[in-house]
Amino acid sequence: MGRFKNNKKSRVIVKPIPKKNQEDVSHVTGDKIPKSFVFSRMKLPGPVKQLQMDLRKLMLPYTALSLKEKKRNTLRDFLNVSGPMGVTHFLMLSKTASSLSLRVARTPQGPTLTFKIHQYSLASDIAQSQLRPRCPQDLFKSPPLIVLSGFGSQELHLKLATIMFQNIFPAIDINTVKLSTCQRLVLLNYNKDTKLIDFRHYSIRLQPVGVSRRIRKFVQNHQVPDLRNLQDVSDFVTKAGYGSESEGDEEAATVTLSSDLGRVNKGSTKSAVKLQEIGPRMTMQLVKVEEGLCTGGIIFSEYENVDGKKEKLKKKQDEEGAEEEEEDSEEEDEEGSEEDGEDMDEDFED
Amino acid sequence: MSTGEEGHMEMADRGSRKRRVGVKKGTKAARNKKLKSKPSSSDRFKVTMKNQKLFQKRARDYNSDEEEEEDESKKQPEVTIREKIFSDANMGPNYEEIEEEDGEDNDENSDGEDHGEIESGITKFATDGCNAFKIAFKAIMKKTKGDDTLGPVLSAHKHLIGEKLAEEEAEKKAKGQARKAKHLIAEKGHVKPESYLDSHEKILIGVATKGVVKLFNAVNKAQHAQKGLNPSRSKDAKVLKKRRKEAFFSELGKTKTDPKAQKSEEEAPAWAPLRDNYMLANPKLKDWDKNQETKEGDDFAAMSGDESYED
Repeated sequence: MGRFKNNKKSRVIVKPIPKKNQEDVSHVTGDKIPKSFVFSRMKLPGPVKQLQMDLRKLMLPYTALSLKEKKRNTLRDFLNVSGPMGVTHFLMLSKTASSLSLRVARTPQGPTLTFKIHQYSLASDIAQSQLRPRCPQDLFKSPPLIVLSGFGSQELHLKLATIMFQNIFPAIDINTVKLSTCQRLVLLNYNKDTKLIDFRHYSIRLQPVGVSRRIRKFVQNHQVPDLRNLQDVSDFVTKAGYGSESEGDEEAATVTLSSDLGRVNKGSTKSAVKLQEIGPRMTMQLVKVEEGLCTGGIIFSEYENVDGKKEKLKKKQDEEGAEEEEEDSEEEDEEGSEEDGEDMDEDFED
Repeated sequence: MSTGEEGHMEMADRGSRKRRVGVKKGTKAARNKKLKSKPSSSDRFKVTMKNQKLFQKRARDYNSDEEEEEDESKKQPEVTIREKIFSDANMGPNYEEIEEEDGEDNDENSDGEDHGEIESGITKFATDGCNAFKIAFKAIMKKTKGDDTLGPVLSAHKHLIGEKLAEEEAEKKAKGQARKAKHLIAEKGHVKPESYLDSHEKILIGVATKGVVKLFNAVNKAQHAQKGLNPSRSKDAKVLKKRRKEAFFSELGKTKTDPKAQKSEEEAPAWAPLRDNYMLANPKLKDWDKNQETKEGDDFAAMSGDESYED
């Protein structure tokens, strides 16, 4: 009997998860939750396939983790499915002999950003390189935060990329968000000189500040400490032990929590934010922006000079002096992604 | 002589059994006989010109009869190979015995008919084949084994085998190279990270940390006010709404957040004050954005949560 009851209970607990996935609108913010497909329409070699899997994991929980694609599946097939499923973004990997590329697209009608991946490391590579790779159980149960850095709002295509990546993960309402759900972070760092974007994926960990390592471990691990060398129990607390060497630069990385977070981090105490990388890691370059979903006019291209693009470039160079005006004009210029443009405006106003 | 050899003999017999039915009984005795009458075989089975035609005709007949022909052709080489292996195995000269046996069998066969024309033709034909076999076999046996890297069996075709092996090797090499190239293409861009954090990674982590701290502090500020209230309860929700508004305006720094003002806000149509604040807030926020840009080299364009101050 008791067993049965337990089973029932567990089932009840399990049930809400798919339910949650099914609803398109988050009950907290009222916004539409962006969902994504990560796929490829060709046969990928082993490591790239693994990269695809890593990307899927990164996009969790609002993605199809075990999406099966067949050779005969066309883009239209995915598009047809995406409507009823509420999928808003496609991430497509493609591999040619010379290069590996990632395309990020809004589903119904674009735009599509094509990134050339110069270098990449898999999650497993990164875990191997680390002494203690970290993977808590509920790491992938909540969407990651996204940090975009170095994307100035001057250039049109970068702006578009910013909007795209902002909207690829669900928005956070800071009034209601639980910090315990902020477990991961995706960083996109644009380097102006090399025009490369560093794509990193970190796990966020909070540690109390000002507590000796010994006591922290004691609270965390539930293990009986080794007291053999101590004269008195009080020594365990009072003896400071050696401090962490990274203690010094922690000042900038401390936050004060409003509520308890886990066993160790109590509310209204200071905690240090620690990031540890969990793959994948990519270095990529934005090479092309298309208006439609893998079709349509080319808004931006790194290599080929499209006529329209040329004009725009000239325009931009002319306007470089007056930045404020340029911003406005750019927003008007933007044709392919009207929705996104609006989103952006909202962001700035708020 | 081992039993295996015996079995082998049987095989040799069976190869030519079709032509001589009922001979089997005599074989053992014949074998014994053979051992004694060794040197007779070679000159006895000469092919005369007269019989040549007959042989040819016979041969044609044999050729037309496919089943038998195939049988013959199949069994003959098998025997020879076995023979060779065998002789190689124990270096024995027993091949002579075998060949003698064959000869003796034929002898016996012909004994019955006493060299009748047709019958003898058959036997002679058979013995001729046997003779050729003998010659070939002797030729093989005369050869020294050599370096035996390629094995004694096909030692005659040593260079052929060598060629074949070389070819195979080349093929293998080509295949391996193709595979290597494919692997290289597949692995292109794949980088194994260093076990230590280089400066670039450290910078990136620093940037990310800054972003997280910013968000967490913002969250903290926003949620500090609503401590102890449950947003799912409607009563608390109302209070929360009020507080959020307060916090929002205090953030703007323009409106005073005394309760009277709030009341008036609530009484007034929702649009007017909002629009006022909106007008006030907009340039300010823009300025704030720019300040930040100038302050830090790299601006945080977005924490995806930062922008939602609204209620």
